[in-house]
Amino acid sequence: MKQYQLSTGEKKFIGSHLLVAILSLAVGSLFGPLQAFEHAGWDFYPYLRPWIKSYYQGLTVHGVLNALVWTTFFIMGFLTFNVIFGLKRPLKNPTLNKVGFWLMVVGVVAAAIPILANQATVLFTFYPPLKANWAFYVGLTLVVVGSWVEGWGLFMTFAAWRKENPNVTSPFIAFASVVTALLWQICTLGVAVEILTMLLPWSLGLIEGVDPQLARTYFWFTGHPLVYFWLLPAYLSWYAMLPKQAGNGKMFSDSLARLSFWVFLVLSTPIGIHHQYVDPGVSPAWKFLHSMFTFGVFFPSMMTAFTVVASLEHAGRKNGGKGALAWIGKLNWADPSVAAQLLAGILFFFGGIGGLTNASYNVNLVLHNTAFIPGHFHLTVATAVTLSFMGISYWLLPYLTGRKLWQPKWAVAQSWIWFIGMIIFSNSMHVLGLLGAPRRVPLGLAPYVPAEWNSRLFQVGVGGAILFISGSIYLTIMLMTALNKEKVTEEVEVPIAESMQDVSLTPVWLDRWAPWIYGALGLIVLMYGPVLFEMIKNIALTSPGFRVW
Amino acid sequence: MAKKDKDDEDFRPTGTIAVLAIFVVTLIAIWATIYMILVGRGGTL
Amino acid sequence: MSANKIHIDRYERNWMMFTAVLLVLFATAVSVSAFGMGIQVPAPEQRVDPKTVGTDPNSPWSSPGLREVAPGKYDAYILARAVPTWEYLPKEITIPAGSSVSFYVTSSDVQHGFKIQDTNANFMVLPGQVSKLTIKFDKPGTYNYICTEYCGSGHGIMYGAIIVTP
Repeated sequence: MKQYQLSTGEKKFIGSHLLVAILSLAVGSLFGPLQAFEHAGWDFYPYLRPWIKSYYQGLTVHGVLNALVWTTFFIMGFLTFNVIFGLKRPLKNPTLNKVGFWLMVVGVVAAAIPILANQATVLFTFYPPLKANWAFYVGLTLVVVGSWVEGWGLFMTFAAWRKENPNVTSPFIAFASVVTALLWQICTLGVAVEILTMLLPWSLGLIEGVDPQLARTYFWFTGHPLVYFWLLPAYLSWYAMLPKQAGNGKMFSDSLARLSFWVFLVLSTPIGIHHQYVDPGVSPAWKFLHSMFTFGVFFPSMMTAFTVVASLEHAGRKNGGKGALAWIGKLNWADPSVAAQLLAGILFFFGGIGGLTNASYNVNLVLHNTAFIPGHFHLTVATAVTLSFMGISYWLLPYLTGRKLWQPKWAVAQSWIWFIGMIIFSNSMHVLGLLGAPRRVPLGLAPYVPAEWNSRLFQVGVGGAILFISGSIYLTIMLMTALNKEKVTEEVEVPIAESMQDVSLTPVWLDRWAPWIYGALGLIVLMYGPVLFEMIKNIALTSPGFRVW
Repeated sequence: MAKKDKDDEDFRPTGTIAVLAIFVVTLIAIWATIYMILVGRGGTL
Repeated sequence: MSANKIHIDRYERNWMMFTAVLLVLFATAVSVSAFGMGIQVPAPEQRVDPKTVGTDPNSPWSSPGLREVAPGKYDAYILARAVPTWEYLPKEITIPAGSSVSFYVTSSDVQHGFKIQDTNANFMVLPGQVSKLTIKFDKPGTYNYICTEYCGSGHGIMYGAIIVTP
């Protein structure tokens, strides 16, 4: 059976997302190891003075480009691919999607200029009253608005498909992509309001001050579901593509996969206050309520763990795997896309453990803003997400360009090197956090570092170096593949795992949108409404801006 | 859409249970360790 | 599309039920420590004006430091700031072992953090807000308090110390 063909224009459009994403990763990843090296006492920043003024300017570049730009561009490109390929129809309004893409590009450039000029050294959380140049906030706004516009293009396409196919269960990859885009539209309202009502007018001199507590609350309204915006595309691939690649496995449960996406949509926003457990201006009652709902969002994560592992086990058994665990060895580890995503998944188990611990209300007192936190999110966004996206790009780039993947064996090695480097880096960061080391500190220079931290700080540097090697190999493979003279003989097959149960048996209510959307919005009103109402009623725009970098 | 294969009918995810059991034990161990640090340090009121 | 009932595999259903039990256990453990043992997170305490909080003679943070409110019980007013330099006022507090100290911490400029090593005191410090937690110091020694939120280039040098004498 011949697969659905994307037009050259569509492939180019998706490819341009990948291009921006990978370029951002290339620049952002230069600075990651520099932070790690600093911890180990190898400080390169003095030599970079002519271009990069400080550790914190480097950290801002690393956070913004890797956590925000690389992810958002890769995700929007991947979702666009899934919608077109899944629905087997072109975008309803390709111009709209192009407008969205270019808005995002202009936004990145607008934000990059002040960052590189050391006018926006505010890190990727940009907490006021640290005050960046206005162009930074304009740039962020354009990136968000651009991603909204692209999302609208995807919704219109899905609606058009639904009209043409009224009684068919939606294809999973398109369904999951549209849910992800929808989650993003809802949750980014927080940061949009933060920037448009406070930070932007303030940076332009229209208002004197801001309310930092309210700003944090808006920020984390977006900041937590942002994590799911990163993760869901990786989940999509683990659910619906990886089992096929790993050994012709099937998706264990289509219904539960859809149900977990819906639960993520409903539950991932109204729990943002679990990032603010130790904020002074939020009452413990709301903090506790958000913590209980956070336990709730662990539920679809555990369902995902089951369904994905079972689908992989199905693949492993088909390949002749035996035993309780030995089947894991029978998965197609030689395929770089499989190796990358399996290793990403393994480390994500530990990311989940750290996440649940952080989110456990008062347990956060032990961990808040310690090195445990970056240790944790380097397992989630920098491995579960990033290493999975790398794995996806190992088939997606050859598919889009028609060029063979350059040195697949190197690509497999790259994944393993990332895995090993991240274990060393992340483990030592977690331990440092438990010993009391704060995050966002050049610990190589901090005056209060006790001797017992030193061996761990050294390991941070070693892990960073190994990750740097892996990242360099990845970028080389991407570049050499894009330039590869060797073409693929026929179009790369898109890996789609069939569902083990007949998809027509998927309950109708898992394919209805309105109840879930109303549910998501209703829960947000319940869980955030009173908190925000109180804060806005008592708003105190008393904080003028500071540039203390 | 795919018909149910015979071997799919017989598929029992026992390996999955094994993987998840290891995960849960690790989860409880790490969570409890950090929880005990919290409790050991005492009240804040 | 005709089905309405969701089909869930037996193994997966058991897993989901197990997950639910596990989460209830975690939630119970958390609740016991928070509500039973008094290991709580900060609650809204007071709003202040960050522009005057460090200078207004009526503000306790214009003369930051320790006040003994009862035998063995202290209030510590601590000002975190990045301007003119990154520091806590006061930089050092000395108390006898067995003292219970309520920390009232605020900022006169940007966001900071406040974490006393080896204790459960670890919270955000925001301009305009006062963060409060109470800690009992039984073991003599030096407990550093360090800044845990990025507050500009001097974030990494910002710390103070509590000296608990025997």
